[in-house]
Amino acid sequence: MDLDFTQAEQDFRIEVRDWLADHVPAALPSMDTREGFAAHRDWEATLAGARLSVVSWPAEYGGRGASLIEWLIFEEEYWAAGAPGRVSQNGIFLLAPTLMRFGTAEQRALLLPRMATAEDVWAQAWSEPEAGSDLAALTSRAERADGGWRLHGHKTWSSRAAYATHGFGLFRTSDTRHRGLTYFMFPLDEVNVRPIAQLDGENGFAELHFDGLFVPDSMVLGDVGEGWRIAMATTSSERGLALRSPGRFTATADRLVKLATGDPVLADRAARCWIDAEAYRLHTYATARRLMAGAEIGSATSMGKVFWSELDLRMHALAMELLGEHAAATPWLDGFLFALAGPIYAGTNEIQRNIIAERVLGLPR
Amino acid sequence: MNFAFTDDQLALAATVRDVLRAHCPPESLRTERGPAWAQLAALGFFSVLVPADADGLGLELIDLIPALEETGRACLPGPVVETAVAAPYLLHGTPELAKLGSLRVTVRFDGHPHVPDADLADLLVIGRRLVSRDAVRLAPRPGADPCRKLFDVAYDEWTELPGSATRALRGATVATAAQLIGVARHLLDTTVDYARARTQFGRPIGAFQAVKHQLADVAIAVEFAAPLVHRAALSLDRPSGERDASAAKAAAGEAAVLAARTALQAHGAIGYTHELDLRFWLARAWSLSAAYGGTAEHRARVRALVHDAPRFP
Repeated sequence: MDLDFTQAEQDFRIEVRDWLADHVPAALPSMDTREGFAAHRDWEATLAGARLSVVSWPAEYGGRGASLIEWLIFEEEYWAAGAPGRVSQNGIFLLAPTLMRFGTAEQRALLLPRMATAEDVWAQAWSEPEAGSDLAALTSRAERADGGWRLHGHKTWSSRAAYATHGFGLFRTSDTRHRGLTYFMFPLDEVNVRPIAQLDGENGFAELHFDGLFVPDSMVLGDVGEGWRIAMATTSSERGLALRSPGRFTATADRLVKLATGDPVLADRAARCWIDAEAYRLHTYATARRLMAGAEIGSATSMGKVFWSELDLRMHALAMELLGEHAAATPWLDGFLFALAGPIYAGTNEIQRNIIAERVLGLPR
Repeated sequence: MNFAFTDDQLALAATVRDVLRAHCPPESLRTERGPAWAQLAALGFFSVLVPADADGLGLELIDLIPALEETGRACLPGPVVETAVAAPYLLHGTPELAKLGSLRVTVRFDGHPHVPDADLADLLVIGRRLVSRDAVRLAPRPGADPCRKLFDVAYDEWTELPGSATRALRGATVATAAQLIGVARHLLDTTVDYARARTQFGRPIGAFQAVKHQLADVAIAVEFAAPLVHRAALSLDRPSGERDASAAKAAAGEAAVLAARTALQAHGAIGYTHELDLRFWLARAWSLSAAYGGTAEHRARVRALVHDAPRFP
């Protein structure tokens, strides 16, 4: 066992740190406004120009073939530098790993390079008005058509869909609860999109109404009827490593302990957050090692999802207490509102605790 | 970067686990003060950290961590951490070092209130003084843990030890944190078994979400405390060593205390008795979370040191 970085890993860290120091922009407007979305998309293109938007992808798709450890190093530097949120997150961290694993060579060659530069920005389309935590109850359907499928139905809480170019999600191709679902990818320009303002007042969500949108067979991801299994592999990366890397929490914890220097009770709570952020970081290095050795992490990702989402909320709630009315003039307020969503999205923490209890601990259903 | 235990480290833990299953079963905690000690000594367990030129294995603290977790899981009584971890560092440069494999040693570091398991010890280290068993008078102190008895000691003869106790205290802190992880794992496993077996309202109580979610929270706490302990063992002699040891002890203590609280609640009244073995692990969670500095003290140290040293890694 060792925790030492190789010289190449250290060199990579320095390269990333130096580049970010020269290029990270001053705070951008919210990515959930038209203007902010465009600014974040430009930032993604700038990152891609330095081949830093998707470092872990193969070079042919715009990455550097970086290892998981190097990707974690990138993330630590990225968030420590105060760089912008990733508007392409749903694509690069959710869809792309699924394409790498289940997609065809043609799909990868067509979609991944455009995703890496944010030419295409992807939104997820999982939930429906009557299918949230119980996702497999979804009723949006795909009907067979010549050379493809026609999508019908109603999706909601689609993050980034107000301004994104493309979407991906599950649609029913038969009545079997899990085996009747298929994974589709589609452009959003012919979908009826109704933006939904989130708690911060900006259009972070949208409703999507499908009225016969044609999707060719080439835009089905994986086999027909395999959508649930494929999506679970995606959400497993969403809950785990890909969506919320430790770098953002260690960066927040570092800022928090600097903020909490006065009252010893609040300073103690900040120290606990700092320890937890370190714990998540170290745990992730151990997980990365296991993944690199070919292991699957499976249901254990649910433990990470609960841990980081509740840590993030605890850190921001503490900052609210520390700052009082001054919070509104700082990025902590936006961070707090963002952190409040963490225990809800990617499978609520109640669902995650059920998964941990039943599939990790073996308690009865 | 290879943050995973080696086959050798895991094999040592598996051997220790087998020995403890055979020689430190739960019923022995009621009748014996030092079960499995002779078998562990025969295995060389207590000389793992003793340098090779003093007849030890000359290994590092990290090599012993999974095995220490097993001693916590089995609730092994006696001065395990003091003998296996603190003593090799404290007795460095003394003739006693070469005898460590078969001696029982206990320790009271300066500023700490009592001596654990002094009734079992052949040698005592009090501050920087080495005291033999024959030269010491013991006064038992009240304590929560029947298998980790606390004492005050009086003595008239001693030998002054060279060097500093800093490394030994830090090592003992990390080793105790490793034991706490093992204690918490046992408490979780036992409680999951109980929640699957115990039925009320016609269902196992583990089928109720109120129980499930509490046990899930214990699983999460243990899962994320463990890597802090492993890192602290690796950073023992690094600039971040003190901070990392305190982070590990705070998190492991908190996880074990949560595991104990949840275990007791899920067991209900039967858990609140002397009849069930559960009480030994509850007591160990409380006694070890307080040993070598409680959670609040270690968190305060983390707070004070947080920006003093670079992160490791």
